[in-house]
Amino acid sequence: MIVSKPTKKRPKNLNLLTIRLPINAVVSIMHRASGVALFLLQPLLLLALQQSLAGATEYAAVREVLQHWSVKLCLIAMAWAFFHHFFAGIRHLAMDVHWMTSLQKARFSSRVVLILGVVSVVIFAWWIW
Amino acid sequence: MLIELLTKKYPGMRQWLAQRLSAVYLALYTFLLVTMLLIKQPADFTQWQAFFAPWWWRLLTLLMFISLAMHAWLGVRDVLKDYIFNVTLRGYLQLLVDVVLIIDLVWVSTILWNIN
Repeated sequence: MIVSKPTKKRPKNLNLLTIRLPINAVVSIMHRASGVALFLLQPLLLLALQQSLAGATEYAAVREVLQHWSVKLCLIAMAWAFFHHFFAGIRHLAMDVHWMTSLQKARFSSRVVLILGVVSVVIFAWWIW
Repeated sequence: MLIELLTKKYPGMRQWLAQRLSAVYLALYTFLLVTMLLIKQPADFTQWQAFFAPWWWRLLTLLMFISLAMHAWLGVRDVLKDYIFNVTLRGYLQLLVDVVLIIDLVWVSTILWNIN
């Protein structure tokens, strides 16, 4: 007789298409992703800054590039990364000083962060268009 | 107790604090930048250059970029530690990140330096 060792079959769900993250986790992973994106985008920002300050011709050229609709869409995406990172960061700082740390409040502040990010992006988009 | 946590014995605590302090400065600079842009509303090249002309504004901007480099270094390092398990590979990636951050910092210094 074979006595099989009782192996515990624990449920494992690592399928990214079926995982539903709680809202705090959504804010958290977006904070990471936007942070990495902002780090990678810094050279582009510096290039634009350098060219815009190099002379009147370069300044006009940068302005013209930024007028294109596809570039504006990219700017809006970058702005979202920035605003989300900004508001989620303030939420982290608030939690560091033990503000809004209960689960219910953390969920509420997560929602506030997401909404503030979207509202800021809408204002930004309206402003550049 | 609190002071002791910030001595060299606990480098993690110092880095944790550095990440927060740089974050606070980055946020303050953001508010300052938006306010300055709303007040001065630079509309052409001359005004744009004049916007960056004051020495104190360039100093605050450089401090912002130094904070940004520190903040990004700590943040990207944490991300790499979480997702790259091969120590050798992570070491090379971290080196690459360090080089990029140093180039960014030198680059922005020359930009701010060269404004007439």
